[in-house]
Amino acid sequence: MAANPELKEQLEQALKDNKRLLLMKGTPEAPRCGFSMRTVGILEELNVEYGAIDVLPVLAGLREVTAEMSDWATFPQLYCDGQLIGGCDIVEEMQSSGELAGVLGVAERHSETTTTATVGVPTPAADLPPYQSPPVTLG
Amino acid sequence: MAADLAELQEMIEAALPGAAVEMIDEGGGDHLRAIVTAPQFVGRSRLDQHRLVRAAVKSRMDDGSIHALSINSALP
Repeated sequence: MAANPELKEQLEQALKDNKRLLLMKGTPEAPRCGFSMRTVGILEELNVEYGAIDVLPVLAGLREVTAEMSDWATFPQLYCDGQLIGGCDIVEEMQSSGELAGVLGVAERHSETTTTATVGVPTPAADLPPYQSPPVTLG
Repeated sequence: MAADLAELQEMIEAALPGAAVEMIDEGGGDHLRAIVTAPQFVGRSRLDQHRLVRAAVKSRMDDGSIHALSINSALP
């Protein structure tokens, strides 16, 4: 059975609109699965912007779509530049080995930029959630 | 429905001859971890290594015996 073409189109659009996209169960504030929660935790550690899609409302259909697109049918799935990086295990392994930041295109450390030169310059609000795209929904 | 760890181990070993496989029940009998070292992983990305392991036990994911499968793949 071919995957739902509308859902596939919506996912492809979401992948174009979000450099980093996490397909997860639940939301970053309220993950509904331990693996999704761990993946969100790692992205927060990296303090990186990403879009997140709750797959639960479209779970069965989206499974078919990602199985067809990426040969991957379990969630969470982290994408960067439209390419599947992996699920929770791979993301955790890449974080421990230090590869993840590079793959996601984020600088690992910003410590050298916190020098006197920034005095008086308003710093970006630190309490912004690390994912800044509007909530993405499919289906 | 709980998965049969020995059967899963055999399925992975059959799909990846020469592999060393350890199956661990991480909770409830259907949240499992597979620790797999296989010669077939050489030259393959992590994604492909995981795909090979999942493909080997696909029937047990599809029938619900496995709810969640974590994978640690390693090169021999």
